[in-house]
Amino acid sequence: MCIYEDQIGKFDWRQTYVGRIKFAQFDTVSTAKKLIVATEENVLAALHLKTGQVVWRHVFESASTGNIQLLHVSDKIVTVSGSNPYLVRGWDSGTGVLLWEWSLTLQDNDNADFSEWWVQQGLLVHMLPAFNSHIEVTMYNLLTGHNRGATSKLPAPWINEGCVLTPPFYSCISGNVGAQRLLSVDVTSNAVQIISKPLFDYISLDIFEGNLRPLDANSAVPGFIIDDKKIVLIKNNDFELLSVNVADESASASIIDGSNGALLLQAWTDKILGFSLIAHNVNSGQEVSELKCSDRNLRIPEAEIAAVMCTRTAKEHHACRILVNGADDAIHLMQQGGRVLWTREEALANVVAAEFVDLPVSETEATIESEFDQKEGSIWAAFSRRLQTQFQQLQTLLHSFQHRDRMVENSNSNNLVRDYFNLHKILVLVTDVGKIIGMDNLSGEILWRRYEPSLDAESVGVFTRRTAWHPPYDAYLTIVGKHEETGNGLIISLNPINGELVGERFLQLDARLLQCAMLHRADEEKLHGLAVLYEDENIQVFPVSSERLVKDMYIYVADRETAKVQGYALKYDGKSAYAQKIWSVALGGAGAAGHRIVAAAARSRLERTHSPGRALADRSVLYKYTNPNLVLFLTEGPDPVHKEVVRAVAVDVASGAVAAATSHRRARALPLAVHADNCLAYLYRSDKHRRLEIATMELYEGKERWLPAGAAFSSFASERAPAVQRQAYILPAAATAAAPTVTERSLTDRHRQAYNLPAGTTAAAPTITERSLTDRHVLLALTTGAIVEIPWAFLDPRRPAMPTAEQREEGLLPYVPELPLPADAVLNYNRTVHRVSALYTHPAGIESTSLVLATGLGECARIVRECTRTPLASSSPVPCSPPASVSVCAQCASIHVPRRHRVHQPRTRHRPR
Amino acid sequence: MTEEDTGSGRYVIEGRVYPPEDQDLTNWQVETRIHVNGGEYIGFVKEDGSFTIHNIPTGSYVVEVVNPDYMYEPVRVEINSKGKYRARRVNYIQTSQVIQVPYPLRMKALSKFRYFQIREQWRLTDFLFNPMVIMMILPLLLIMVLPKMMNDPETKEDLKQITNLAKMSEMPEMSEVITNLFSGGSTAKPSTSKSKQIKKRQ
Repeated sequence: MCIYEDQIGKFDWRQTYVGRIKFAQFDTVSTAKKLIVATEENVLAALHLKTGQVVWRHVFESASTGNIQLLHVSDKIVTVSGSNPYLVRGWDSGTGVLLWEWSLTLQDNDNADFSEWWVQQGLLVHMLPAFNSHIEVTMYNLLTGHNRGATSKLPAPWINEGCVLTPPFYSCISGNVGAQRLLSVDVTSNAVQIISKPLFDYISLDIFEGNLRPLDANSAVPGFIIDDKKIVLIKNNDFELLSVNVADESASASIIDGSNGALLLQAWTDKILGFSLIAHNVNSGQEVSELKCSDRNLRIPEAEIAAVMCTRTAKEHHACRILVNGADDAIHLMQQGGRVLWTREEALANVVAAEFVDLPVSETEATIESEFDQKEGSIWAAFSRRLQTQFQQLQTLLHSFQHRDRMVENSNSNNLVRDYFNLHKILVLVTDVGKIIGMDNLSGEILWRRYEPSLDAESVGVFTRRTAWHPPYDAYLTIVGKHEETGNGLIISLNPINGELVGERFLQLDARLLQCAMLHRADEEKLHGLAVLYEDENIQVFPVSSERLVKDMYIYVADRETAKVQGYALKYDGKSAYAQKIWSVALGGAGAAGHRIVAAAARSRLERTHSPGRALADRSVLYKYTNPNLVLFLTEGPDPVHKEVVRAVAVDVASGAVAAATSHRRARALPLAVHADNCLAYLYRSDKHRRLEIATMELYEGKERWLPAGAAFSSFASERAPAVQRQAYILPAAATAAAPTVTERSLTDRHRQAYNLPAGTTAAAPTITERSLTDRHVLLALTTGAIVEIPWAFLDPRRPAMPTAEQREEGLLPYVPELPLPADAVLNYNRTVHRVSALYTHPAGIESTSLVLATGLGECARIVRECTRTPLASSSPVPCSPPASVSVCAQCASIHVPRRHRVHQPRTRHRPR
Repeated sequence: MTEEDTGSGRYVIEGRVYPPEDQDLTNWQVETRIHVNGGEYIGFVKEDGSFTIHNIPTGSYVVEVVNPDYMYEPVRVEINSKGKYRARRVNYIQTSQVIQVPYPLRMKALSKFRYFQIREQWRLTDFLFNPMVIMMILPLLLIMVLPKMMNDPETKEDLKQITNLAKMSEMPEMSEVITNLFSGGSTAKPSTSKSKQIKKRQ
């Protein structure tokens, strides 16, 4: 994979995200107006005011050391980040260059989390409340960090957890029930002045719940909302109750400096009325009509004003820019009157699951398909059908000539059809916040979005239960997750092409789920049933009619924390489907406590094995152990001798047999494991050598086949020890590198090798192609932001240290411990993607092409083409099915074959908990 | 400043990034980040290229400069419990080998990343050294140059001598020998008389 410089952007796109907005302020000082945001993802960024594009961006550490505590924008940007020690940094707002930084360590580490920060008159103010006792206030020089005087302690026995800060005032409701007082203090003034008023001056105490919240979006005047009803401002060291009431309980309010005095701005979303925004003059209480807006169609869940900027125009009109943040992480920039200038889907910074979905064929292609589908009938019937279709084609052609102009307009909306090489797909992305987004994979354009606030997407499963290959049926995709509040199962079924709910629609289950899997046999409507396993080991199949299709199905449940894996057989007894526990394996070993599963890697459902073995130099064949039910588990745990041990165990999840196991001492595992065909690879950090290593394994049956050629693999066919004994395999014996029982019984040949990686890695994936003829590559996302492709030939565990003549003939490279990461293997060239959370690969309809999606703080999709290497040049695979020349034609033909051949084997899905 | 202890056993790593000089770069400071141990700690670059990474406990760290366009060599920085710094080259294979580099760090750009293949361009030399072209041009040269050489009187003389020599040698031509053989002696006579005639002319 190499591209030319003029191919930039032809096969790839990148979108940059910053994450959910935590703080936002308009930069009004510099000439190019920008919006400065700091996010929950620890990103500081400047957004272009007109387009919403990222002008510059700084990604901080993902751990708590990068948490942004304060964003202050004046002529410079000031951020406070970290959590004791804190870092105070100043940035140039125009360019984003760092101007100064200094570190600050608080002595009192226990209460440091309650710290409040703000900037006042060129000083950084740090306030630390000690509840029911006092307030500590320290001021620092913003540029140097020099402390202006010692920490001052304000005695304040009345403060509690419900207090709010509206710089520089700290306000509380304190006192006994019925006699509460509203207290407020300016913590920065030299003379301590406590404003104290009885609470019943402001609100009826009978219905008071004790809720206090500050005004949003850097309110121009300090103020707060009592009990979501009344707004109280602090002016001239006194409280001032506003005559305007809070419009809605959920309304977000902010005070801005308008042309005729201060304006109160309120925004909320009503379930029926949609988004509303109103403005009042603070002094007169009159409504400002030009800012008002109410939009039924605009759905911003839990709308919150993040930042407001108003400028005065000549005619005393208000020109406002209002940034509204929603609970679905989307931010909208509006102008007065409610027109949305741009929207950013920041939910995409946190994608938890992604699925590539095939598009349906175009109408003309569908008619061709249907023409050839009807096999029966005489030759005359076929001839008349042919004439008929050709007449239709002619008609559409003439039609297109007549309405050419209209066609161009429609083409944008109607082009969601499969292209010739099946490169065009829909990406269904499930985000952490519960937003499901459908995206065009060629352009990155968002096609549909759906916000499900009750979906806890922490461990979500996405299943394509019916592809668009079966007209007239639509594609069918199911998302299985947890309910946000109850933790019970939640099933969302939708049409991935347009995002509309279908089938089970939105279904809440009554119990918690252990596992879910898709049935490998489809029903008459080509729909694959969905089997869910409840915590009480009962099983339910959706739809119920598919229950009878449950056969030869095995699922497993892996407990992440205890490293225990259990296998179930799903059976159907004529009345209902039930699950039977058939095996159980403790991957950590019986004695070793504290082992946990770091990663589990199963073979991709879409992958197929092209060749059953590889040819050796002496013309014999080394047959691969291609078990479709094999799952690689990577565990990590403490060890009495070697501190920490990483274990990699390959388990046949249908029978529970252990196929291979290795361990690495003094190492910490990374949650990165790759499994494709008979190749296994995983990463770990060697503490001993202080480096990152990738270990690879290949499984072979030996020089003789276990099964006759063409026979489907069965996990139960080969003579093996019963499941009960198998637990013993992975005990300390399996932890050593050579476990003789394992080797002679199940596998005759295993190869292992470890390679060094000269860089940090955050995600890994194997490439998948349509027919797996192409050389396999492993994709690694590095911490530098690059996504690197490593050919499997470099990772081949059979690379010898000193190759013999035979091995050289076979094409094995001599072993070199350090892997080369050349720059031309970087898929995303200089468009770096930071903090990549996952890489998703999917085959395209053309061999030697794979679709790659990297998700992180910036989505990056890529079509990887292995054009520089012809797939047939690799000498190692032994062609078993079509000979090389035929397979080239088969690639083209596969576009027109409506059904893809799937390997009919018991298939298991995993979802570690 | 280098040995500064910010309390609670935390240290700072300092250094400076030198951008490639030949290029006129705008805003390279924003694109450049300093990763310690692959992003465990992140530092940012000031206007002049200097960077400071705060709050690092004692230990061994790999400091790398991350820039999308330019490659920098990573450095391993070790901070011992007394707060002594040692910066050395990163060697993942021979971890015990120590090649010291100066501290505070001086990170210089090694080269530009070559992400792209260079498209083959049409060049005149490529065309000229093409064997097909050479095969065409060499005979052309012979045709063009040889007549020119003919004009030169000395070479003319030389050529004459050569032709004379060829004729003097009186080598019977193969075709003649064969025709003589097959057609008998009748035709042999005229051919010899012809050669005599030529001799007379000379």
